[in-house]
Amino acid sequence: MGPRIRRRLALPVLAASLLVAAAGPPRTSVAAEPAKPAARRIVSLNPSLTAILVALGVGDRLVGVDVWSHRQHPDLAALPTVGGLYNPSIEALVSVRPDLVVFVPSAEQREFQARLSELGVRVEAFDPLRFDEVLASIERLGRLAGAEERARGRTARIRAVRGSIERALDGQPRPRTVLILQRDPLFVVGGGNFIDEMLTSVGAANVAAGWTEPYPRVSLEWLVAQAPEVILDSSRDAQPPERYWARFESLPAVATGRIVRLPAGTATLPGPALDEALLLLARSVHGDVVRADDRLRSTLAAPAPKPISAGPTP
Amino acid sequence: MRRRVASPRRLAGILLVLLGLLLVTAIVGLASGPSGLEPREVVNALLGRSAGPAADIVLRIRLPRVALAALVGGSLSVAGVLFQALLRNPLADPFVLGISGGAALGGILVLAFGSALGVAQSAVPWAAFAGALAATMLLFGVTGFGGRVSTTGLLLTGVVFNAFASAAIVFIASLAGLAEGASIFLWLIGNLSAGDLRMAGWVAALLAGGLACALPLARGLNLLALGEEQAGQLGVDVERHKRILLLATSLMVGAAVAVSGLVGFVGLIIPHLLRLLLGPDHRLLVPASALAGAAFLVLCDTAARTLLPGRELPVGAITALLGGPLFLFLLRRHHRSVYAPG
Repeated sequence: MGPRIRRRLALPVLAASLLVAAAGPPRTSVAAEPAKPAARRIVSLNPSLTAILVALGVGDRLVGVDVWSHRQHPDLAALPTVGGLYNPSIEALVSVRPDLVVFVPSAEQREFQARLSELGVRVEAFDPLRFDEVLASIERLGRLAGAEERARGRTARIRAVRGSIERALDGQPRPRTVLILQRDPLFVVGGGNFIDEMLTSVGAANVAAGWTEPYPRVSLEWLVAQAPEVILDSSRDAQPPERYWARFESLPAVATGRIVRLPAGTATLPGPALDEALLLLARSVHGDVVRADDRLRSTLAAPAPKPISAGPTP
Repeated sequence: MRRRVASPRRLAGILLVLLGLLLVTAIVGLASGPSGLEPREVVNALLGRSAGPAADIVLRIRLPRVALAALVGGSLSVAGVLFQALLRNPLADPFVLGISGGAALGGILVLAFGSALGVAQSAVPWAAFAGALAATMLLFGVTGFGGRVSTTGLLLTGVVFNAFASAAIVFIASLAGLAEGASIFLWLIGNLSAGDLRMAGWVAALLAGGLACALPLARGLNLLALGEEQAGQLGVDVERHKRILLLATSLMVGAAVAVSGLVGFVGLIIPHLLRLLLGPDHRLLVPASALAGAAFLVLCDTAARTLLPGRELPVGAITALLGGPLFLFLLRRHHRSVYAPG
């Protein structure tokens, strides 16, 4: 009989996780790893970490993932799941005999780390917030999983794309932009995180950059008063964004039609495909310039290590 | 017990005062918000004399919220008064019979799985209202709508169904992702940020229906306080009262929960607050609850929008934080006269 997966998410836990997510969890340092043999049996408890491992070509070293990774990577369907983001099952996890567990320390999973360490399982926490931290965690995960070369290739490519985009869009007008994560409750991308940095790189002025929280819940009135010229909507709501936002006629983005639906997770996942995320954002904000720029086109035409998908779009 | 019977004059006077209170809170609500519009801009927007952000903010954000807060607050308070009288239980609130559990289950199913199934989030109120209707049907199905409706049976059905609904909601939430989880969490505390005027129209219609059923029966409700048997002996058609009022109230609660989630406390404390201040006559209590509940929720929602500039607080948290201490204060002052006669 297979391991029974206990689901024990209670609402208070969910609430606590949200509060912790809002307050910003303590961040782990991304220091140099001590030399250890590369992990061969890896469990990933976070979709972005799973995406990085798959992109680095070491997806076959995964022996278990969380339910969200499962849903985003149909090719991992054969792997056992070891619970959700907030309710990993220690029994299911131990039973796949991992030599490395990688995770993002949410409130629930932090306590989990201590319990796993007591059981002698190697656990590594990743909590990248800034752009460079995402790149550092790709390289660190590459070292841990024995794919250091590829990881460095990946981050070099991301840096090259970012540089090309910044050069191509230098001197362009910077439209006031908001990136919507969720419509109701309204969550947007605030300041001090990798998405905000990418918005700056693609020549957008994030109207919420002044918020110290990375992903603040803001009021609709505040947003309308900011008069964004571009709305990037990555919410998963089925209603088309141009229809949803059309009721606020005063928004410059509504008047000019600069409302773009971003496939959920593509631009907002701190994963391996920040180059694609940058391109998507650049096309959404300055599509005409991106299309017309030859040098940018030649950078983008350079061979990528492997086409990377940030997961299927809903 | 001070038995203050509402004379027409006293009734009109008190209701006028409460109406004034509601108007004041509505004006404050329309005039406040994080974007700092001048009063003149607000008035111009209301009169349709301005375009641009002021019109969007006043007519499409603040006005629907103030209207919705007033209607939801009124509906929940009236529902509270009626349930407390019908069930002869001071702990009864609008959510006690499980209507809210059904609504929450319906709404949360869409919140959790809507995006995966291609159902827009704007379907949440409809799903929630459908859930409320299903819960109402279950309630009457179990307790027997045709014959004698047992108060204990109603309460037990409600409590058990609510427990079932909460368990189902926790289960659904554990399957949902982070974004859906945030929506579910906020919905369970109560949230008016998604309001539009069309929704307000529906809530208004059902509140009006509820009042139209309750006001003519208010005298009967007064007699019900003596016990069902005695009320029956005094000529009250107890079962008819119960059936009509339960159905009207259930629809009212269903509509309120559908548009705002579970805004707690309003429906429990406003009725008690008014009983403490005005006495137990339902001819006064029912309309007074509608007005006072409306004013209270408009005030709470304005606080929720403005306490932290640019942010939204869940209105359900504000109602409890504001209402709890106020209620305990009044209870301490008036307790003997109303709840412990003699």
